Formats: sequence, C-alpha cells, structure tokens
Amino acid sequence: MNILFYLILSSIIFSIGLLGIFINRKNIITILMSIELMLLAVNINFIGFSNHLNDLSGQIFALFILVVAAAEAAVGLAILTIFFKRSGSISVDEINKMRG
Amino acid sequence: MVILSRNTVYSVLYLILSFFNAAIIFLMSNAEFLAMTLIIVYVGAVAVLFLFVVMMLNINVVQAKEGMLRYLPFGLVLISILLIELSLIFSDLPVFPESNTKINISELLNNGNSNTKAIGLHLYTDYFIIFQISGFVLLVAMLGAIVLAYQKNENYIKQDVSRQLDSDRKKAIKLNDIKPNR
Repeated sequence: MNILFYLILSSIIFSIGLLGIFINRKNIITILMSIELMLLAVNINFIGFSNHLNDLSGQIFALFILVVAAAEAAVGLAILTIFFKRSGSISVDEINKMRG
Repeated sequence: MVILSRNTVYSVLYLILSFFNAAIIFLMSNAEFLAMTLIIVYVGAVAVLFLFVVMMLNINVVQAKEGMLRYLPFGLVLISILLIELSLIFSDLPVFPESNTKINISELLNNGNSNTKAIGLHLYTDYFIIFQISGFVLLVAMLGAIVLAYQKNENYIKQDVSRQLDSDRKKAIKLNDIKPNR
C-alpha cells in the first residue's frame, strides 16, 4: 500500500481531533476524546512508516504511545471528576479559578 | 462524528468505532500485535473508563452544546491552513528510501518469528530502558488517579490502634478519694 494513503488518513484524523478541541469548549470529555483521536493519527503514521520502511521500531514506538495515551486518559478523567465534584460543570470557559 | 455528536455517550461509541477501524488498518499493515493491543487497551479499558465517567457525571446536554458556533470559524480556518500545508507537502513528497535501519521486519519474519515474538525480542533487549520507564509512567498515572479521586470519609467510626495501645490504666480510670463519715 502506498505511504501516501497513510499520511492522508492520519492528517485527516488529526485535523478532526484539532477541530474537536476548538468547537467543544463546553465539554472537557469531548476534548479528551479529541486528544485520543490525535494520538491515534500519530499511531497510524508510525505504523504506516513501519510498514513502508520495513522496520520494527515504528511498532515499538506506537506501543509506547499507547502507554502514554492510556496514562493521560486516566489522569485527565480523575482531574475531571474532582473538578466536576467541586464546581458542578465541565466547561472549559469556567476553569479560570486559578487566576491570581 | 466523535466531535459533532450531541450526546457524549454517542461520541464515545463513535470513538470506539474509529479505534476498531484503526485496528483493522493496523492488521492490514502487518502489525497484528498492535492491532490486538489497540482493541484491548482502548475498547477494553479507556472507552469503558470514558463511558463510566460520562454516565457518572450526568451532564446537562443542552447546556454543553452552547458556544459551539463561536469558535467554529477560527477552528475551521486553522485546520484548513494545516490541511493545505500538508497537501502541499504531500504533493511533491520525495520517495522514501528503502530502509537500512537495524530492525528488519521481513528478515525477522523469515526466521520463523511471529509479529508478537519479533516485537518482544526487541522490546526487551534494545528498548529495555524505555520499556521500564513506560511501566513507571503507568505506575505514576495509576497513583495519581487514585490520589486525585480518593475522598476521605469522616462519617464512620474507625478503630485507632495506636491510640488504643497508648492508653493505660491511669488514663482510663479516675480514682476519687472519698472521705467516710461526711
């Protein structure tokens, strides 16, 4: 398969994730899911180049990206739950309480 | 669909769908172990975590969609710039050379290794330090999530062992000296 297909697919998925961060300002859960989508796009790039260059390092690094994504999702959701418990909302626009 | 759907539960389900599709693409790209890992880790763990949080928080759906149009033009401009730049790069993409790196997949597979065994052979030897560090990252994430979400409950009566062992007869019993014949 051509490497160009992987690149086009991953750039489209990355752009969808980036757009999701911008338009969902009221919902942090959706923003976290958009970040997961962007990491998935990076993974697709890694796998595509690993297949194209016939090199196993891409798959190993994609595995590490999976590890980091899982850790990030867990910590982000924990922060989200305590924030919702304190303020009763998950809007990004209202997270300005830490301003001095 | 992940970012546009009105209900957050639906968007989690669409996220699972897109991860399944990515796993199928990985399968077609000779990365069987990663495809299975993607399904197990994401559909099994992360998506269930997301669904759990979404259903636990009980968000007001109508209020959560306000302000979507306010940021839409800016985001559209930004991603169209990104896509135009990427398409300009892709249009005269140089042909990537055939690999001369050290880990050759077809050589490994011709020696009778499966994909999983090949990954394991190099993950536990060449990338051992990074492997340990990633395990440590997972440990720190787990501890951080537990510490953040842990809530101390003051409503129940608890046995305090050190206080129990610390008390003796003098603290517990008070002797009153009562004089007789008064």
